[in-house]
Amino acid sequence: MTVAVRGLCKQFAVPRREAGLRAALRALFRREYTRVDAVTELSFTLAAGERVGFLGPNGAGKTTTLKMLAGLLYPDAGELRVAGQVPSQRRPEFLRAISLVMGQKRQLSWDLPAVDTFEFNRVVFDIDARDYRRRLDELVSLLAVGEVMRRPVRQLSLGERMKCELVAALLHAPQILFLDEPTIGMDVAMQLAIREFVRRYNVEHGATVILTSHYMEDVAALCPRILVIDGGRLRFDGSIEALTRRIRPLRRLSVRAQLPSREALAELGSVAEIEGDRVSLDVAPERVSAVVQALLALPGAQDLAVRDAPLEEVMRELFRGAAAEPGA
Amino acid sequence: MSQVGRDMSRGTGPGAALLRAGRVLAAMWRLGLAEAVAYRAAMLVWILTTTFPLVSLALWYSLAADGPIGDYGRADFVAYFVAAFLIRQLTASWVVWDLSAQIASGDLSTLLMRPVHPLLHHLMQNLAALPVRMALALPLGVLVLVLAGGISAAPGLHLLLVPLAVVLAWLLGLCVQTCVACLAFWVTSSTSLFEVWLGLYMVLSGYAVPTSLFPAGLVAVVRYLPFHASLGFPVELTIGRLSGPEIAAGFATQVVWLVLFGGLARWLWRRGLRAYGAVGA
Repeated sequence: MTVAVRGLCKQFAVPRREAGLRAALRALFRREYTRVDAVTELSFTLAAGERVGFLGPNGAGKTTTLKMLAGLLYPDAGELRVAGQVPSQRRPEFLRAISLVMGQKRQLSWDLPAVDTFEFNRVVFDIDARDYRRRLDELVSLLAVGEVMRRPVRQLSLGERMKCELVAALLHAPQILFLDEPTIGMDVAMQLAIREFVRRYNVEHGATVILTSHYMEDVAALCPRILVIDGGRLRFDGSIEALTRRIRPLRRLSVRAQLPSREALAELGSVAEIEGDRVSLDVAPERVSAVVQALLALPGAQDLAVRDAPLEEVMRELFRGAAAEPGA
Repeated sequence: MSQVGRDMSRGTGPGAALLRAGRVLAAMWRLGLAEAVAYRAAMLVWILTTTFPLVSLALWYSLAADGPIGDYGRADFVAYFVAAFLIRQLTASWVVWDLSAQIASGDLSTLLMRPVHPLLHHLMQNLAALPVRMALALPLGVLVLVLAGGISAAPGLHLLLVPLAVVLAWLLGLCVQTCVACLAFWVTSSTSLFEVWLGLYMVLSGYAVPTSLFPAGLVAVVRYLPFHASLGFPVELTIGRLSGPEIAAGFATQVVWLVLFGGLARWLWRRGLRAYGAVGA
C-alpha cells in the first residue's frame, strides 16, 4: 500500500473568548482554549496509481488529513505510512517521493522567473541532469509554459502561475502527488486544462494522486474513488456512482416532447422539474428501461438523457443526513 | 571516470554526501543572490536605516574636539564607528521577521517540503545578500573614513582573527533570532519580543557608545553579555584595541552564548514543528 492510515487523530487548541472589552482584558491574563477534533479515528489505505478525492464541507478535516499525509502536521494519535515512511519524520527519501501543490501557497520565488526555481529544485532534489532536461521539456510542452516560465512569477496570471507550480512540483517525478485546492480561483478553461494534465500525469507515470477541491467537478472528473470526510470522520469510501446510488438511488431521466398532463407523468416517476417542453423525472433503476420506452413514445420526443443526480446534490443530502443523525 | 569519481558525482559514498551538500548550498546561494539583486532598492533603504553608528560618530567626533573622551580620541571614534557600521552590515540577519511570518502564514510549509533543512534556507539568504549589501555599504564606509581624515590604526596579526569573530557574531545573532521566531509556533506576536532585544542591543552592544566608555562597574558585566559578543567585541578586535587575554575572553564569550542560543533554537524548532499547523499551515 502506498498510503496506510489507521486510527489517525488530530486535535487543535483554539483560543476562545466572549465578545466585549471585559472579556478581552480577562483573556490577557487567562486564556481559554477549546479542543477541536480536526480528525478522529480515520483509517483507510490507498494503492499505488490511484486517483482519490477528499470531499467534505469546510472544516471537515480534509486539508488537515492531507497535511498529515504530507508530513507537515504531526498526528496526535494513530499510525501513518506514506511511501513506506512515517511522514512527520520528513526524511529526504520521503520528501523526494512526494509532492504537495497548494492552490493558496506558492513555492516559486516571487520576483524571479519560475525557471530559476526549477533549476534550484534540480539541485535540491538531486535530479540527474538528463532526467531533468527530459522532464522539463515534457512538462513545459504539456502545460505550454515555454515563454511563461521566463517571466518573473509576480507578473503571471493565476493560471500561468499554477502551471509553473505544477512543473516545479513534478520535476523530481514524485510517486505521490498531493493537490490541495489546485484550481481555486481559476476560470473553467484553466480548471479543465489542469484537470486533464493531472489525469495524464497519473496515467503515464503511475503516480498516486490525492486531491481536495471545493469544485465537485474537479473531483468527479478526476477521481474514480472518493473519501467523504465530515467532522473529522470518514463517512464514505468508494466510487462516486456507489455514493450516488446510496444517497440518491433514483436515476434522473429528462426528455423534450409534447408533454402529457402532470398526473400522467407522475405515473412514470417522480417529477423533479418541468420547464417548457422539457421534463425531468426521478425513476427507480429497475424501471428505467420501461420509462425510457414510454418517454420515447411521446410525440416529438428528443434529447432523452439518463443521469445520476449531480454530485453537489448528493453531497448536500449526505451532509444534511449527517447533521440530522443524533450525536453527529 | 574512476569508481570514486562516479561515487562522488551521483553515488552514496561519504564524499558524495559532502559534494551534494556543497551543490545544494551553492544553489541556495545563487537563488538568494538573484533575489537580493531583485530587491536591491529595498536593501539600499535598509542600509540607510542602519547608518546609526555614523550618526553616533558625528556626535562623538564633535564632543571629542577638545580632547579625548575616556581612551577615545577623534581618530579612534572614526575607526570604531566605521567598523561598527560595516560589521553590523556583515552580521545582519532578518530571520526573526521572515521565519515568524512564514510560521504565522503557513508559508513555512513550502520550505518543509524540500529535502533541505528550512533554517539552511534562511542562513543562505543572509549570506547571499552579502555581496549586494557590501557593494552598497563599503563605499559609504570608505567615504566617511576619507572625510574624517582616514585612520591611524596599524595593521596587525589580530586582523586575521576578525573574520572568525564576525562569523561567530553573525551565527549568534541568527540563533537568537531563530529562538524568537520559533515562538511564533505558539504565540501570534513573537516579533514584539525581539523589539525588546533590539532595544537592549542598541545600548549594550556598543552600537551607540563604545562599551569601554561605560561606568567601570557596568563594563565588567556588559562585556560578558551576548549583545557585546555580537558587535562590540568584533569591532574592538578590528580596530586593535584588545590585548591577548581580552581577545581570548571575547571569543570564549561568543562561543558560550552561541552554544546556549544554538541549543535553545534547536529545541524550540523541534518542539515548534510539533505544534505547527494551528494557524494557516
